Amino acid sequence: MTEVVAEPKIVGFLCNWCGYAGADLAGTSRLSYPPNIRIIRVMCSGRVEPAFILSAFENGADGVLVAGCHPGDCHYRSGNQYAEKRVEKTRKLLDLLGIGSERLRLEWISAAEGEKFASVIKDFTEKLRRMPSPAVTSSKKAKVSSVVENESIHDVLKRTKALYCQECGKCSSSCPITRVRPDASPRLAVEKALMGMEEEVLLDKGLWSCLTCYLCRQRCPLDIEYDELIRTCRAKAAAHGIVGTCSHEGILITLQRLMTQPKIKQNRLGWLPEEAKISQKGEILYFTGCLPYFDAVFDDIGVKSVEIAQCMVKILNQSGITPVVLKNERCCGHDLSFSGDLESFAELAKANIADIKKSGASRIVTACPECYRTFKLEYPEISKSFDFEVMHSSEFLAELINEKKIVFPEKFDKIVSYQDPCRLGRHMGVYEPPRQVMTSIPGIELVEMSRNREDALCCGVSAWQACGQHSKRIQVERLGEAKGTGADLLVTACPKCQIHLNCAMTEKTATKHVDKVQTNDLSVLVAKAMNLIPR
Amino acid sequence: MSEKPSVLVIGGGIAGIQASLDLAGRGFQVYLLEETPSIGGRMAQLDKTFPTMDCSICILAPKMIECYRHPNIKLLTYSELKEVTGTTGNFKVKILRKARCVDETKCTGCAVCAEHCPVEVPNEFDMELGMRKAIYMPMPQAVPRAMTVDKENCIECGLCTKVCKAGAVDLKQQPQDIELNVGSIIIATGFDQFNPVSIKEYGYKSYPNVLTALEFERWVCASGPVGGHLLRPADGRRPKRIAFIQCVGSRSLLKGGSPFCSSVCCMYATKEALIIREHEPDVEVYIFYNELRAFGKGFQEFVNRARDEWGVKYIRSRPGEIREDSKTKSLTLWYDDTLTREIKTLSNVDLVVLCPALVPRQGNRQLAEIMKIELDDCGFFKAKHPLFAPVDTTMPGIFVCGYCQSPKDIPDSVAQASAAAARAAEALALVQVGGAQ
Repeated sequence: MTEVVAEPKIVGFLCNWCGYAGADLAGTSRLSYPPNIRIIRVMCSGRVEPAFILSAFENGADGVLVAGCHPGDCHYRSGNQYAEKRVEKTRKLLDLLGIGSERLRLEWISAAEGEKFASVIKDFTEKLRRMPSPAVTSSKKAKVSSVVENESIHDVLKRTKALYCQECGKCSSSCPITRVRPDASPRLAVEKALMGMEEEVLLDKGLWSCLTCYLCRQRCPLDIEYDELIRTCRAKAAAHGIVGTCSHEGILITLQRLMTQPKIKQNRLGWLPEEAKISQKGEILYFTGCLPYFDAVFDDIGVKSVEIAQCMVKILNQSGITPVVLKNERCCGHDLSFSGDLESFAELAKANIADIKKSGASRIVTACPECYRTFKLEYPEISKSFDFEVMHSSEFLAELINEKKIVFPEKFDKIVSYQDPCRLGRHMGVYEPPRQVMTSIPGIELVEMSRNREDALCCGVSAWQACGQHSKRIQVERLGEAKGTGADLLVTACPKCQIHLNCAMTEKTATKHVDKVQTNDLSVLVAKAMNLIPR
Repeated sequence: MSEKPSVLVIGGGIAGIQASLDLAGRGFQVYLLEETPSIGGRMAQLDKTFPTMDCSICILAPKMIECYRHPNIKLLTYSELKEVTGTTGNFKVKILRKARCVDETKCTGCAVCAEHCPVEVPNEFDMELGMRKAIYMPMPQAVPRAMTVDKENCIECGLCTKVCKAGAVDLKQQPQDIELNVGSIIIATGFDQFNPVSIKEYGYKSYPNVLTALEFERWVCASGPVGGHLLRPADGRRPKRIAFIQCVGSRSLLKGGSPFCSSVCCMYATKEALIIREHEPDVEVYIFYNELRAFGKGFQEFVNRARDEWGVKYIRSRPGEIREDSKTKSLTLWYDDTLTREIKTLSNVDLVVLCPALVPRQGNRQLAEIMKIELDDCGFFKAKHPLFAPVDTTMPGIFVCGYCQSPKDIPDSVAQASAAAARAAEALALVQVGGAQ
């Protein structure tokens, strides 16, 4: 017991009927095994979400064991099959993060297999001992930002101009959430805050339903910065330990927080096509964002997010550009910033800024409007010297088309419609470049949905918060609008819009009729039109 | 100075007219400058006035005629101010009289020329809802009663010259520079209407059934483009439901919006609601207001009467957006009924009237430069002292009245015009006794 610190810590999720009973038997049989495991009993191994596993690693575990019943023995018929799929998904994420899939074990241990349990623990502990430890340096969750604590709610109202509110209700009658969920409204939030009811504001579930889609701010005659008000109130709420209901049990938020780990060495370039030319130093940096992670998390809804990155690199190469793609690029931090964790956001930002500076790039191109917004608006606040030219893929592609560096060899006959992403459109005012790109492709006809540009309807979820029936209703409505245009294809310029709209189409619980619309990211559409990938 | 002391009044709306009449009545020589072909201003465009429901042009026209006939008033219509030098009691003023191409003294206003003119353009006086010819009179009650050739659109076919029995048309007429010596100047340039096109969610200009209030005034006016019938602009059908939206662009901190309250919209919307109910008693009228500002004499009573006796429905809300049914062209309004806190829709609305901010005129800036006076942050002419010298500008001898000084209604504009006239008379009297500063 001289090197307690170096001893690996294992978190075991054991199913009540088999794994846990097996551990029990090991104990009653007085079998000896290393004391490195901390056991969490779950009713079924199928209950173990990828988020639980990542959370264990985030909190300092060196290994995670999931133990369930042997195939065919599940007490809920198919729970262990789910477990297998989920563990598989989590392995991919662990590999991407550089934590390593070998730190996660799935074992079938029956109630009669006390011996097996003991030997699994022995073996796992041995293996973990040989790995460099620890996997991550233990971190506190949801760190409190001192900036937020020092600013009173009145100061926030003043800073966001909410003190000017005339309570006219233009925001609330525009808000897509309020229309489906009247208790959550920007006006009511401001009203409560104005009356000094800080507690009510911070405890309000509506605080987390807000899409920060900017529609209310776009229309507010007083230019009240609701998005900023919500962002700050969320951080204040988080400081009191109040958090929202994260989609997918918070896996994406946890992933982003894991990326704040200074020692983390990700393996995030596996998606690069073989022939792709990239570099670690150069003029133009392509910022991938979370696409490789999305690909692993959302493999079941038929969206290939990483295709966007692959197409972008192909297009750039084809135009004679060898972009910098960072090996250890971290999430831009947008979702952390909009879910109250400003400290972790700042850590991600600082790490990215350092890496970007090292690359010697002067221009950053990204296909993600959230990265775009974060780089343009928030990074310069973190670091004054963040003075790179930031371009969204649509702007960059439009420029390449203008310079005749992109040529379309043949007609691409398609009727397309376009989903304006909130971050790109209303937040940053980029409406025309994506349209220029689409309409410059010969054969493409662009038909607009009735709500477009400033009036566009959000895809229903933001910052992975509070996805639920309200989000689905918004998505179903939007898909109906897209279908109504008669377009063959709905083009998006945000990977998340694509994920959310596709999710609504595959949602098993959706009772309402959902219109099916094929979606493509703008860069994928361009790559198809350039014949870089099959049409 | 042997001749009569004289004054220049800039702007031929109700404020300018009143100031001119007051000063002329005191024996001063008045030059009334107006940039359009006729005096009358915004009041001439209105169908009725609140809270008395008088026919606007009926009570204004006699004053316009009086200006024309008054021996002490010289109308300088279709003219622009170019230069002002000097100081109080002795201003030298340069004015450009644009080429009207019609001799005002010969023209009888029979409008035969307009019948023959082949060029049709939207009529500014009717807020471009109706058409006029390239040779035109903006309104039937125009003063002076003379035609004007719009040189921008004229194709110089010469038909008007041929058909004019009075021989008044002269397409070769050149603009004229005139110089005047005046002792004092009164500014009364009125207002412009904020263009609600920038408030995209209300669909102005893209939905035909959305009008602005001034457009609506022309639309329902008997001398307007559809002869005063209450119709849907999209298809000419009779409307069943009409909604007014207040504070469009006013009380706003957005770029291009107005931070101030235009002060007349609550009342004129109520007036227009009554006009609607008088026209078609079965039409439902909704007024979406924020704070109902009925602050003048008889105003609150007027609103109460509209609500209780005429059944006008007042809803405290700024609607979030208007959506059009692409087939029927009917409109749906989304709004938060802020008194009950319910998100509601009002559908099958046939006509939405936006009440846009009334803003100081664009040209004020140039005028201010010419006269070396100051504007405030909003573009209104700055008063020397907001409380004790509200009609004095920052330059002695130059006075201001009407909406261009601050938002106000007709009675207040008239009262302020008389005040400005009195102050100008004071300055002129000082000249007479040789006491000008």
